[in-house]
Amino acid sequence: MSPRVRLTVLQMLAPLLAIGFGALVASGIILAIGKNPLDVYGLMLRFSLTRADSVAAIFFKATPLIFAGLAVALSFRANLWNIGVEGQYYVGAFAAAWVGFAIRGLPSGVHLPLAVLAALAGGVTWALLPIALKLRRGAHEVITTIMMNYIASALVLYLLADVFRDPAQAGTPRVRTPEFAPNARVPLLRPALEAVGIGIPEHSALNWFLPLGVVLCLVAAFLLARSRFGLEVRAVAGNPTAAETAAISIGRVQFMMFLASGAVAGLVGLSDVLGFFGYFDIDFPKGLGFLGISVALLARNNPVGILVAALLFAFLDRGAQGVQVFADVPREVITILQAVIILAIVVAYELVTRYVRTQRKREAERVILAPVAAAAGEGGA
Amino acid sequence: MAAVIELTGITKRFPGVLANDQVSLAVAPGEIHALVGENGAGKSTLMKILYGLYQPDSGSIAVRGQPVVLDSPRRAISLGIGMVHQHFMLIPVFTVAENVVLGSEPARRGRLAPDEARRRVRELCDQYGFVLDPDAELGALSVGEQQRVEIIKVLYRGAEVLILDEPTAVLTPQEVDDLFANLRRLRAEGKTIVFISHILEEVLAIADRITVLRRGQVVGMLEAARATKAQIAEMMVGRPILMELPVPEVAAGEPRLVVEGAVIAGARGRPAVRGLSFAVRSGEVYGIAGVEGNGQSELVEALVGLRPLVSGRLLIMGRDVTRTGARGIRLLGVAHIPEDRHRRGLVLAMEVWENLILGHHTRPIFGPGLLLDRTAIERFAQERVARFDVRTPSLRTPTLALSGGNQQKLIVAREFAFDPSVLVAAQPTRGLDIGATEFVRRQILDAKAAGMAVVLVSAMLEEILTLADRIGVIHAGQIVAEFARGAATPREIGLYMTGARQAEVRAG
Ligand SMILES: Nc1ncnc2c1ncn2[C@@H]1O[C@H](COP(=O)(O)OP(=O)(O)OP(=O)(O)O)[C@@H](O)[C@H]1O
Ligand SMILES: [Mg+2]
Repeated sequence: MSPRVRLTVLQMLAPLLAIGFGALVASGIILAIGKNPLDVYGLMLRFSLTRADSVAAIFFKATPLIFAGLAVALSFRANLWNIGVEGQYYVGAFAAAWVGFAIRGLPSGVHLPLAVLAALAGGVTWALLPIALKLRRGAHEVITTIMMNYIASALVLYLLADVFRDPAQAGTPRVRTPEFAPNARVPLLRPALEAVGIGIPEHSALNWFLPLGVVLCLVAAFLLARSRFGLEVRAVAGNPTAAETAAISIGRVQFMMFLASGAVAGLVGLSDVLGFFGYFDIDFPKGLGFLGISVALLARNNPVGILVAALLFAFLDRGAQGVQVFADVPREVITILQAVIILAIVVAYELVTRYVRTQRKREAERVILAPVAAAAGEGGA
Repeated sequence: MAAVIELTGITKRFPGVLANDQVSLAVAPGEIHALVGENGAGKSTLMKILYGLYQPDSGSIAVRGQPVVLDSPRRAISLGIGMVHQHFMLIPVFTVAENVVLGSEPARRGRLAPDEARRRVRELCDQYGFVLDPDAELGALSVGEQQRVEIIKVLYRGAEVLILDEPTAVLTPQEVDDLFANLRRLRAEGKTIVFISHILEEVLAIADRITVLRRGQVVGMLEAARATKAQIAEMMVGRPILMELPVPEVAAGEPRLVVEGAVIAGARGRPAVRGLSFAVRSGEVYGIAGVEGNGQSELVEALVGLRPLVSGRLLIMGRDVTRTGARGIRLLGVAHIPEDRHRRGLVLAMEVWENLILGHHTRPIFGPGLLLDRTAIERFAQERVARFDVRTPSLRTPTLALSGGNQQKLIVAREFAFDPSVLVAAQPTRGLDIGATEFVRRQILDAKAAGMAVVLVSAMLEEILTLADRIGVIHAGQIVAEFARGAATPREIGLYMTGARQAEVRAG
């Protein structure tokens, strides 16, 4: 095999190698608690892939991860680090929830889109300040978005517990908003799937946000590859100085991409809130924004790759549940296992692709390492 | 004399191109061997093979008679083969000595020995007659001095054979002379040098022997003492080259680009351009001659809206564009060939067709709405590549796979598209072979004849003398003298460039 072919094959196999490596590392932990890794993995695969409810659960779990991964990736593609997807989706989800419970009597064709718009607006609002500070004042977006996350989380808790708490729940330990109007809830996928002959369990909350997420990824991929703006984005990421020379406004590209990132982030929580709970609960799923970073990294910011990466993460999550229930492995170990696998995958994937890249770089002796005077010109996320 | 390096039957293929085709080359110890050929002929590829960066598909390499496999630069260095990179791999905040030893630092009992490093660097400089201060911070050095650091770095690693790929492309004429003096000294000390350049005068001046490549093959080897420029050029291209460029007489029209009292900040906020004025009219080429670093780079950036004017005015096509910015200036039909193609000119990771429309991508002909029209772009790119002879396997080739000269041709092809009204060109022919240089110069003259106004900044005085209708000499951020074509000798211009003449005037 010529080196070129070998590298291409290696690059295609990289995700698989990464998963294998992750499994290997996790085996150590499983052995340490006195179980047989093969049994555990076998159970994991059987539990996740052969049961209809598991498959439905994986797709349901993957739905928010698709949005979160895409949101993070959109910022990465413009050389920006949106660590604030977490806060943006709290705000987006709460905005949608407010539209859901505070407004009554709208027809379904209006109420749901309105809730989605509110979520988009919430996400965009929360992204606006960091990117404005970055472009106006040079404040690093990693710091500002992390701060915005704290604010978002405190703000949402305050609104939930002190302002909009469902009075009907007073005196109970439940902290949540009133129920949404039925027309604000997202229809489930089950009827449509059954119409085409795919049966899924009755209790599955799989809903139309899944296809929406898939479509968003495909649209993003298409626009990045084929549109004028996509060309500008790729130029800004590939070499900001050359982009600037071509009269592309780096600030405008970064601004748009960051707001797009925030908008998509606003949708992260909707599948759960509008599709499953029907109210905004204090136990509303958290941490999806940070998982989105891993998803984006694993997908190498490729919008189509995000679909695959999100499914992988969801599979791990579901498999872990199975192992916890049926293999009698303590919950904490499962959590460690999951984290280790994800970590190992991300690291191994990074290593393999980096290896391939340096090999290719050596082939092409790609000296973007600009002449000394311009050492700052390095780009590329 | 046994060859120190012997390449036999080297073949190297890239997707869609045969970069080296059965190349054999013997380099004698203690000689300066020049490698010449058209853009894309395979010179850099051959040198990268010799330095262990690329592996040949077939062929063999012998060093001092021993067959070797050069599978990495490390291996090449251990065999005494060193490469002086054109894009210096140096760290600006380190001193000269630190940069030289970086990667193979002298250590005493596991601890860094900075004095030792300084001493070794001083020794090397003394031995080879290099003027360099080991304690100077690298970022403060001129390009020529940085190149000297690169050479010392290679010598420090014990190189007996030095490869220099277009070392003169980034140098001023004075720096070229210094470099050549250094190279002669190295030769006298027994070092062997392989040298690539497109400037045949340089090749004839420095080389002992010359190997000519054409389309990946060796077409001949000449003794420099008995070769002529025309002869080499003909071997390179395969047909005789006209070296005369008829300059069309054009009546200059309305002023298209006017600079009034421009003050422009340079690095670290110091003014690089200090109250500079000139005007270029339609049908005119205005040449800016000067020693590099006298404000040319900042001036060029300001003319195309990439750098703000601290004070003064900029008028293009009769409009005040002092505060307009790059987008607005481009929309007035201003094209820009930047001096640093890798930094400003290209997104190397993108494909050829994408780089060809960069800056033109908002034009309606490339698609009416949001989306780019691939067919229209393909047609445009096809025409550009053919017309400017950009040698690329396909339009979808990543730009970083093109040879240096072909990358430059790509930029020129792009900037000449859509009949610009003003062209701001910095070093437009840097890295181009003689055929391509002649072609680009002819393009400039033809466009001028059609009414374009051209600002030409070049380190090559000869280029300015050939093309410019008027020459402004820039020194310390000011135009210190202006001449019409033929009104001044190169010597006179040179005096103004160095500031010597201005001082005389003041003193007298
Ligand atoms: N890493 C690469 N990948 C693919 N093709 C390459 C690569 N490097 C060089 N080539 C191709 O090989 C051919 C020879 O390139 P090379 O850089 O050796 O030319 P050169 O003689 O140095 O030209 P120039 O005078 O323009 O620098 C060109 O057609 C180029 O496109
Ligand atoms: Mg070359």
